[in-house]
Formats: sequence, structure tokens, C-alpha cells
Amino acid sequence: MTSRLDPQPLEWLDRSETRSFEFEGQHYIGFAGDSISSALLASGQTLLGRSFKYHRPRGAVTLANHDVNALFQSSEEPNIRGDVTPLAAGMQLTACNVNGSLAKDRDQIIGKLSRFLPVGFYYKTFHKPKKFFPLWERLIREKAGLGRIDTGWSVRRKAKTYGFCDLLVIGAGASGMQAALSAAEQGLDVVLVDENPQIGGSLDYQLVNEASAAVVRARLKHDVQNHTNIRVLPGHLACGWYTDHYVPLLGPDGIIKMRARAVISATGVMEQPAVFRNNDLPGVMMASGAQRLVARYAVKPGQRAVVLTANSEGYRAALDMVKAGVDVSAVIDMGSLAERGVWADELNALKIPVLERHTVYEAQGKEQLKRVVVAPFDGDKCDSRDAREFDADLLLMSVGWAPAAQLLYQAGGRLAYDSTLEQLLPQELPNGIFACGRLNGAFTLEQRLADGERAGAEAAAFLKGEPLIPALAACRDTQAHSHPWPIVDHPKGKNFVDFDEDLQLKDLVNAAKEGFDNIELMKRFSTVGMGPSQGKHANMNGIRVLAAVTGRSIDQTGSTTARPMFHPVPVQALAGRRFRPERLTALHPWHLDNGAQMMEAGVWMRPEFYGRPEERAQAILREVQAVRTGLGLIDVSTLGKIEVMGPDAGKLLDGTYTMRMSNIKLGMTRYALMVDDSGVIVDDGIVGRIAEDRFYVTATTSHADATFRTLSRHIVEWGLDVRLVNRTGTLAAMNLAGPHARKLLKPLTDIDLSEDNFPYLGLQEGTLCGVPVRLIRVGFVGELGYEIHLPVDAALQVWNTLMEQGAEYGIRPFGVEAQRVLRLEKGHIIVGQDTDGLTNPFEANMPWAVPLKTKPWFTGKPSLALLKERCQRSLRGFMLPQGYSGELPKECHLLIDNGDIAGRITSIAYSPSLGRYIGLAMVDQPLASSERMFQVRVDSGALVPLEPCSTPFYDAEGVRQTVDLTEVA
Amino acid sequence: MKVFDCPVIGRRPISEFDYVGEVRKPPMDADEASWAAYVFNRQGAPGLLREWWYHRPTGRWYVMERDTLKDEVVRFIDLEEVRYDIPA
Amino acid sequence: MPWRLLKYGLKSSHDEPRFFPESRPLKSHYDVVIIGGGGHGMACAYYLAKEHGITNVAVLEQGYIGGGNTGRNTTIVRSNYLTPEGVKFYDTSLKLFEDLSDDFDLNIFYSTRGHFTLAHTDSALRTMRWRAEVNKHHGIDSEVVDRDFIAKEVPYMDLDCAGHSPVMGALYHAPGAVARHDAVAWGYARGAYNRGVEIHQRTRVTGIRTQGDKVTGVETDRGFVSCNKVVSMVAGSTPRITSMLGLDTPIEIFPLQACVSEPVKPFMDTIVVSGSLHVYVSQSSRGEMVMGASVDPSVLHSTRSSFDFVEGLTDKMIDLFPFMSRMKVMRQWAGMSDITPDFAPIMGKTPIEGFYLDAGWGTWGFKATPVSGKTMAWTLANDRNHELIEPFRLSRFTDFDLVGEKGAASVGH
Repeated sequence: MTSRLDPQPLEWLDRSETRSFEFEGQHYIGFAGDSISSALLASGQTLLGRSFKYHRPRGAVTLANHDVNALFQSSEEPNIRGDVTPLAAGMQLTACNVNGSLAKDRDQIIGKLSRFLPVGFYYKTFHKPKKFFPLWERLIREKAGLGRIDTGWSVRRKAKTYGFCDLLVIGAGASGMQAALSAAEQGLDVVLVDENPQIGGSLDYQLVNEASAAVVRARLKHDVQNHTNIRVLPGHLACGWYTDHYVPLLGPDGIIKMRARAVISATGVMEQPAVFRNNDLPGVMMASGAQRLVARYAVKPGQRAVVLTANSEGYRAALDMVKAGVDVSAVIDMGSLAERGVWADELNALKIPVLERHTVYEAQGKEQLKRVVVAPFDGDKCDSRDAREFDADLLLMSVGWAPAAQLLYQAGGRLAYDSTLEQLLPQELPNGIFACGRLNGAFTLEQRLADGERAGAEAAAFLKGEPLIPALAACRDTQAHSHPWPIVDHPKGKNFVDFDEDLQLKDLVNAAKEGFDNIELMKRFSTVGMGPSQGKHANMNGIRVLAAVTGRSIDQTGSTTARPMFHPVPVQALAGRRFRPERLTALHPWHLDNGAQMMEAGVWMRPEFYGRPEERAQAILREVQAVRTGLGLIDVSTLGKIEVMGPDAGKLLDGTYTMRMSNIKLGMTRYALMVDDSGVIVDDGIVGRIAEDRFYVTATTSHADATFRTLSRHIVEWGLDVRLVNRTGTLAAMNLAGPHARKLLKPLTDIDLSEDNFPYLGLQEGTLCGVPVRLIRVGFVGELGYEIHLPVDAALQVWNTLMEQGAEYGIRPFGVEAQRVLRLEKGHIIVGQDTDGLTNPFEANMPWAVPLKTKPWFTGKPSLALLKERCQRSLRGFMLPQGYSGELPKECHLLIDNGDIAGRITSIAYSPSLGRYIGLAMVDQPLASSERMFQVRVDSGALVPLEPCSTPFYDAEGVRQTVDLTEVA
Repeated sequence: MKVFDCPVIGRRPISEFDYVGEVRKPPMDADEASWAAYVFNRQGAPGLLREWWYHRPTGRWYVMERDTLKDEVVRFIDLEEVRYDIPA
Repeated sequence: MPWRLLKYGLKSSHDEPRFFPESRPLKSHYDVVIIGGGGHGMACAYYLAKEHGITNVAVLEQGYIGGGNTGRNTTIVRSNYLTPEGVKFYDTSLKLFEDLSDDFDLNIFYSTRGHFTLAHTDSALRTMRWRAEVNKHHGIDSEVVDRDFIAKEVPYMDLDCAGHSPVMGALYHAPGAVARHDAVAWGYARGAYNRGVEIHQRTRVTGIRTQGDKVTGVETDRGFVSCNKVVSMVAGSTPRITSMLGLDTPIEIFPLQACVSEPVKPFMDTIVVSGSLHVYVSQSSRGEMVMGASVDPSVLHSTRSSFDFVEGLTDKMIDLFPFMSRMKVMRQWAGMSDITPDFAPIMGKTPIEGFYLDAGWGTWGFKATPVSGKTMAWTLANDRNHELIEPFRLSRFTDFDLVGEKGAASVGH
């Protein structure tokens, strides 16, 4: 059986290309240009899906993505919307959310039980006794959800692009096209989008047989497609409106992030269902849905039709059905013929009976509409005693419209109910937002064109800064196209307000009666509008029902918030291409070539250690020993490196760091500790003086950008004459450390390395291996050490030379892990590991870095003055008892004192130099100040004793960082 | 996404900026309570707020007066206006 | 089929009692006015009536019941906090949650799912251990687990995160749960209403009257009501209320966004949070994936959505769950988070006599609903801070005695 019509004038089909596919195990054939639903309907398959809750049979309703009756599953994707998904050859589809098959869905039984499942029933049961709830929950969850995902599906990502325009016109129907032209004529750069694959909007399905529309259609389509100022983007969905006219457009190739300067919403109206018993049967359709089916896909929607209408559009639809060969038995008009105009006259001429002041009381049929029961209707209630029946397999509903105003709401627009049009209309729109067309109450073609012209001109005036007198209401219709109460009660119910959620009229009424009589509460309790259609076909009737129950007006009742997205948007399009920036030092390739295990350090990659993963511990030990006994070289290029220049440079650093920097001697450096306003440690590094008015500052890897930012802000707020240069990326740095450091460097540099000229903490400029460098005498790892700062492009050459020349001293590259051990032996903290989000310098055992008496001011000083006497904890060194061989404590294991938490280990490592485990712990008072043993609770729960001790653990006098090994020996 | 129409650099998306928060001047001779109030308290209520915004790509600082209810920048503040002296 | 459902089905009419009262005039005086008809406000009203016999109480709500952050959060309940004060507080809350359905005779769908906080760096792993150790010390079921454990429990997660920032381990908190957020507010509201508390929706507080340093009443858009005690439980609107009294606080408002996918058949039982990737996800009883990230970076008193949020979230989410790239995002929304400098709430008495504060909930308000209501009710009844909330007093900011929760910061929903 085929319902395919002869070629229609504006059909979307390419009949030269057939496409075969499978649905529920059956083979079907459609054309290129078909949607999944239209291809199935053309083949006579009118049952397209099952409803979410009661598993009722469902067919096509809107063909416009305003409902999700036709939802499909493939092996690639869940929840495929058949009405709008283009048919592709070879598709293998099944119905969504059925137990068994679409035809024999075992869960239809739930529909029979619907009387036992009143609105919000799940709140009122299943919870007693408590222990049974998990069982009920499993049952309920099994019935929840729609499609199935396969967790084995691979990732998909679609690239995004950026777009810019003066004016974005959303909706390429009559008013949208006219608006685009009107604005383009004013010289604006216009983008015109429509979610449909072809432009034209309702012109092409509702007015397809209207002779007067043909000329307009041809002109508009030609003009917008040929205007140099207009870019037309069919097949692009405006996902939502975001701040400052940022509108992502979802197209077949991904998302265009469109930035407009103004937006016109010409998004039209969404036809609303009449609410009567069995209004969800396959065969019951929106009139506009049937028109789409005929005009776009050349599918005959049924053989024998009844048309329910409350507007002139219903008569247009009836005429269109006649033209498509459908036998229209009757038109049921909820009002009177006198209001309907020329289309009604045309229909009358065909002698098709019209029942005025009647409505549909009930639809009948099992899996397909068989019969329509109509009865007199007084505008509010239906008198079922005078019911009449019509045999029909098609029932069209043309009872009213709701504006597709989602984007207007998102932009902060306000809509108000217009009792002339019986429709919500834009009342107040924010700057740069315009609306036109049926969305704005312009219904006749003339009105829509005039309204488009107006909106385009207003948008142009707005963008040119010309005076603007908005005339939002100028082109509106003066008669209603919606019925204020298209709703009929029925003692047996099944009169659905929300098809997604299987919500019947009584569900909403009962929700309101139970106190959920605020529109948002009703939504949340009944779930009206919460399904995948997001209320497109349900919210308006929901509001009408609530208004009626509460006796409030539509405006008093209000509406729920229309949040993005307009339609659901694929995650793969939202996510876009994967972009994970990494920063690599100039020595990165060397590290890889030499067996480094790399680790992430913020955005940087750093060598953790050199060697195979399975020999991690030995490798780290080897590296530590190399530094202690011979030489080690570590890449520290990730340090923040900032030049600070200008007459006020010293003042800037004095104000930013705890210690005074303005009195550092030329060629010397000082430890630099930064705290915030509340006295919490945020960064540390060193400050060195290059010249009277020039300093060189380092910062920790993770805080480098923030430190630069803080310094630059202080320049502004303190009004200083200072320039900063962030050299983090342009300078490499390496630390050569070990007793042979000086010996190795001496022949390679022109800098006088003698202790007198270049003492500990000194800073000198010169050349090394012919490369301009800055050398800094540092002591972080506790040996004679030189930090070498040099241009990135020379880093590899110098590194290689040092490695080669250092071979005779047993030089080894060392990584972050060895550095952690080495610094721990010296008792140096790592900010962020040994400190937390509230640690101040006193707690970190660095009172020497807080010159409260001698400095009049630095950021955080008043806080530290207060905190000095209130320290509740203190960083202490500890060692595991000599010879301890039990379970090892880990970082963040807790210190326990008298059964209470008394601190935690912040760092612990085996010290090869001491031959035992050492560590730092943040210890609460009073334990911190006592001489008692600490106890730490390890994984097994056992308490392990720790011997508190002073730091540094190693070379407390700091002899080694000043002298050569030979001199020590 | 929010766009700021900034002096010198023109229209820039908010994603290019770091938000550093309310502009405040530390009271130099405050008692404990007013110092603590400076450190922790903020003008949390909706309304006009002077805020620091750092434009990362150019390293420029802006102080904007923004309506935090409507998310609209009312004006750009001359940086001279937020300057204060620190004791040296 | 449960008996209750049979009963509904066999009755010819739907004569269920109202959950909440119809709109009625305000009285001229109440013993206690609660500003804010969200979960916290309703819980406070409920416990005032139930445990302290104080029923001359009005809850004033500018919108509708549970319409603020109660109805916008992602419904996660857990107690794996970092500080002892946080752990004790939230553990009390979790235990109250477990019995709420029974208490209310209303099913709040409290569902224990297990909660993973993933660690992608060794520093994150250290923080996880810290939290686990503090939790265990207080008898909370938390442990640091390795990749193998995670792979067994969440087999469909890509622990290598597509090759960047691989998962190194996690903090696993077995009692982590989700609940139907609206039902929590409704249950408390119904319970309070049935015990005589008045609930006034669409009633906006426009001012608070004081005499000296003492509260005397509340101005509303429906007129003045006098009262002895006022408690503000309004999360994102807190600064608007406190500014009426000239009371400065550290609270700043940042939007917190979330989104849901289209519903799919349940496949995910656990709750997964990744601090490093700034994402978290669970699957609702309707089958939607409920997803969120961290708060927006700048102050804003608005519940607008942003596209960059959903872009960033989905980008990171499919590193963990590649198959989710085939799903669709259905709806996004935002709430206004009242953030404090130490990521802990501000509760209890204030310098103004008769004015009490329950605020600073940041992104953790929902899970504290029962315990906040209970301890604030106690505090109001006794005019003395309940011991569980003493660490959260406003004066800690004057005393430089902050709560150390910041150590476990980043994303922690």
C-alpha cells in the first residue's frame, strides 16, 4: 500500500534517488528528501511509535519537531526524531521505548493501569517500607528513559565555526524573508536562517495552493537568495539566544557560533492540539502537520478525513486535503462559519458539510483512528448527548497556535496574552531584539509582509543609531486564530494535554487542586512540558487549564521559563573539536629521547624522573644521589620569569612581597613570598636585582600567570612607573646542582664564579657556551647550584654541552620527583602541597619572611599582624624511627593525638642522604609546640610514631650550597 | 557570550578576560574589625559594581562599572580613579 | 502494586488533600518570619513546628515553593567533606535525608548511588586521601580507590580521558545519593502547613524594620507584618536582604549552571565528579543525564544560561564518557550561588537581635537542607547557635577563624 501522491509543486523529494531502509525488521523504500516518518507514512506505516508512559500507539502529529511521537533507535544513536531526520539509505531502525516490538509492545498493559497511576503517584507510594524502595526504584527506572545508549559507542565530535553579522533573522517564512530584505536594503549584513532544509516556511505548506501567494513566494525566495547583503542558511537551527546576541546555529556540518548585533525572531507559531479523548491516536494530526506531509513529502495523510477547526486555517487545510484526494467528510467548527472568510466560502462551494458550534468529543479506534465522535460545543463545554459519529482515518486539528517565542523569552522579552487573537504576543522586547510574523500576531500574508518590512526597518534604524519608534503591534490581525478553550472533558479521560509525558486533562486539574497551582509547580509536579518536546505542544493548553482551575487570567497564570535549547542539540556538535593546549619546554624532545616519564604540571609537561616506570623508586634515588655526590641538571623552564623595570620597580616588589626587595644589592637575590590580603601564602620564588631600576622575578609554575597579573594590577592601582615583561615562554631555565657545579661551569663561562664575586644568592649576567645567560646561585635542592636562565632557542645546546662536559662528574638529568626529595631534605616547602588554602607564613614556619616591624606595608601585612598571635597549627619536620620497617605513612595521612585529629603529613619521602624517611606535617597546637612524639594513622588504621625534629634535615648550616665538594671534604 | 566594548581594544568576548572582582582600597590605619571587613566583606547586593577585568591577550586592565543584575557595563572607569598610595 | 495505588484507582474522585494552602491574607504578627520558601526555609518551618512547637510562623516566598536553588540544583547528597565541622554537619544531614520519605509520608526518591570524585593529578589524589582520612575518622564511609576499582564500578568510563589528564584514582563515597529535589521542599512545606505554619507564595520582602539593633517586623509587597524573629534563607538573594539591614557579609553571587540530556534508559548508577575537568554527572530517575560544572567566573545576579558553559561541559564530559557524544542536551539552566571566601556557610545569629542568617551555601545547599532546617529551628527557638553550626557563625570573618573547607575546593557537588 502506498500513500505517495503525484509530484507536488514544492515537494522536497528527489524522486530520482530512492533510498531503502529497515524499520522493525521490515524493508521500506523512500526518496531522497524524505524524513524517516514521511517515508514510513508513504508506505502505509502509520504506527510510528509508542508513548513514554502508557505505551500507547502513536503516529505523526506535527511533522515539525513539536512532538516526539515518532522516536527511533539505531545501532548508532538513541532518540532519533523521525519527523525531521532525513532518510538515509541503509538505515536500520527500531521503535524507541518498547518492550518487545512496536506492534506487540508488552508494556501496553501500563496504559490499562493508568487509573491507578494518578498525577505524581510516585511521590505517594513505594517508600514504605523503606527497605523495599530500592526494588521499586529498579522497576521504575527500568521503565524510565526513552532510547538505549550503547556504552561502547566511540566518540564523535563536530568542528565549530564562528560567524558574524549585523542582523540575524531567524525563520525564513514570509515575514522573515521580507524582514531580511528590508534590512539588507538598508545596507546591513544579514544572515537568514531556518531550521528546515528549505526556506519558505508556512508559505510553502499552508499557502501552497494559494494562487496569490505564488508571486510573493517567487519574489521573496529569489530576492533573499540573490541579495548580496544576505546569507541564507537553511537547515540551521538557532539553538538558543545568549547574552549579546550570541546565537549558535546547528547545521548539518556542526555549529556556527553566530554573533549578531541584532536579532529578528520570525519563528512563527506552533499549532496546538485540541484536548479530547484519544486525541493521540494515529490518524489524529495537526492540520499544519497534514499540510506539511502533503506539500513537502507528497504523502496522502489519510483516505477519509474530518477537520476540527476554530480558525480560517482549518478550512484552508480541508481544501488542501480535498486537493490531495482525501475525502473530507465534514468540517467541525468550534465557532461559526461567519468568522472564517474566503476559504470557508470555497469549501462551502464543494458542499462539504460544516458543523458549527461543535467540537470533537472523542476519537475512536485501536491502533488507528476509525471514528470521530462530535458534539455541540458552547465555547466551554461539550454536550455529549447530541453526539454524532463520522467514520474517518484522519482527523485534523486546527484550533490554535502558540508563538515560538523561546528565543524572545531567553533574550528577556515579555509576552502578554491578547484576547483579540487569543494568543500570547510580544509585549516588550529588549534592545536589539525584534519580532515579526505570526509570532507577532500578523496572520494574513499582507500583514506578515508588512510586519517583516517593519521589523527589518526597525532593526536597521536600531543598528544605525537612528531614532526608533517601535510599532510592534502595527500589523497585527484583528481576529482570533486560536480558540481560548479547545479542551473537552471526558469521564473516561485519555484526553491528553502532553503527548510526551502522557498527561491527561485530569492530571493537570488534580495537580492544581493538590496545591500545585502555580504554573512552575504544576510543571514540576505533573511534568507537563518537561519531556523532549519541552512543552511545544503542551504548555499553552497547560496554562489554559491552570487559568481555568484557578480562575486567573492567562497573564496572571504566567508561563514557565523557556530555557535553551530550542530543540535538543547533539553533544558531539556542542563539544566541538578537542583542544587541550599543552606547553612544552625547549628541552622536551631531549627528555623524551632520554627516557623521561613525563607528568602534567598545570598546562606544562615536565619530566617526573628518567627511567622505566617499573624502576621508578631506583631511578629517583639515582637522581638524588647524583645531585648529592656529583652533579644533576633539571629543566626548570616552567618557572614564571618576569622582568620588572622602572624607577618604581622596588616599590612595586616591596608592596607585593612580604620581604623588602628595594634594598637587595645589585647582583643579589632574595626569597620572595607572596600572600593575599588575608595573609594566606599564594606563591613563592625569588627576586634578583639586575640594575638600580631593574629586577628579575621568578614564580612557581602554576602561579606564574597570576603573579604577573597581580604585579601588573598593582602598577595600575598604586600608580607606579614600572614596566613588566613576562619572559616565561621566551626564556628557558635549568638548575645545575651538585658539588661539582662550579667546576663544570668554570671553563664554559665568562662569569667570575669565585665565592667573593658570585656568592650564594648571587645573580650574574654573562655568557655560557657562548650564549647570553643569567646565572643565579640557588639553594632549593641544598647543593652548590646555579640556575641558568637563557633564551629558549639556545637551551638545548647549553643543556647538551653541560651533559657532555659533566659526564666526568657523573652528571645526571633529574626530574620533579628527585627535586621533591632534595628540597624536602632541606626542609623547603612546596606551596600548595605543604600549604593549603588557608596557610599563612607563621604556620608554614617562616616568621623570618614576615618583617612586621621593619616594613610599613605589604599586601596582607595587617592580616599577618593579627594572625601572628593566633597560629593554631605549625609545619613541623619529622622522621620515621631509625630502622622502621612497618607500613609506610603517606601524604595526607592524619596525625592523631588523644584520639583526635591533630594534623596531617604534607610531605614524606625516603631520604637517601639520611637513610630514613623524613617529612613535613602541618601539626595542630598544642601538639606542634610540644616535644612529644607524633602519631600518624596509616591505611591499615595502625598508629605509627613519628619523631618530631627541626629542619633542614640535611646540611642544616647550609655549607654545601656555598662550597665545592673538594672544599667540604 | 558577553561582549565588552572596551576602549582601545574594541569589542571583546568575556572569555578573553580574567575576572578579579570588586575594586577596593585597603584602609591603611584600620582597626582589626574594619581591616577584617575590608579583607572579607563584599558588596554582594545587585547593582552597580566597580570591578577589575584583566584582558589576557593584551595584558590590559580595565575597571568597569557594571550592573550586576542586568549584566550591562555602564561605564569604564579612568584608572586614575582607583589609584591609592601605599606607604613606602 | 502498592496498596496506595490501588486505592487511587478504585476511587471515583480525586480527593487528595492540598499540599500547600491557598493564597490568604497575611496576619499582622508572627513569632517568626522565614524569608525564603525553598528547601531550607520550609525545613526550618517544619522543625520549628514539629520539634519546638512554634507554629505562629510565616514563610514568605517571592516566587513559588522550591523555585530558587532548591529546584535548580543537581540533587546530590554526600558527606565526604574535608573539615571535621563540615563532616559532622553534612553527615547529620545525610542521616536525616535517609528517613525523610518516612517522615513526610512522601517519596523523595532518596537513592544511594555511590559517589566518585576523580583525581587526575597526584595533588588531587593527596587531597582525596586527606578527605578520606578525615571522613573515616568520623565514621564516614569514604576511601581512596585505584583505577582498577573505578574500572570495575564504572566500566564504561574512559579512565585515560582520551589521552590527557588520565584518572589516577578517586575518592569513593558509598553513601553518596541523589534525591528528588522538589519533593524535599514539598514534603517540608506540607509538613509545616499541616502543623499550622503559614506559607505565602508570591510575597516579596521589601524591607526589614528595626528599632535600635532589634528586628521589629518585615515590609512586604503585601504590607507590613510585625515579628520578633526573622531568618533569611534565600541563598542567591541573601545580599539583597542583608543590605536592607546594612549588614555586610562576604557573600558574592555567582551563577551555577547545569543541563540535562534527553532521557535514555538507565545505564549509570553512580555519581561521577571530576574536579580537574570541572564536570559532574548522574542519571535521574527519568533517565536524563544531569550534568554540571563549576560556578561562572564573575559575579552576576541572573539565572541566564551561557553557551560556553554547555560547550565546555560537553567537551570534557565525552573525554570520560565517549558514547555520550551520541546523546543530546535538552535543557540548560542556572541558579545563583551565594559564595563565601572559605566555601562554608554562614549560619546563626547576627549582630542584629532577632535577625538570623542561613546563607553562603555556594553549591552545597541542597545536601544541607534537613540539617540546616533543624539546626536553624533550634537556634531560633533557643536564641543561641546550635553547636553544629557554631563553626559557621558570621563572626568568624572578623575573628580570622575561617573554616578550612577550601582545601577540598574546585568542583565538589
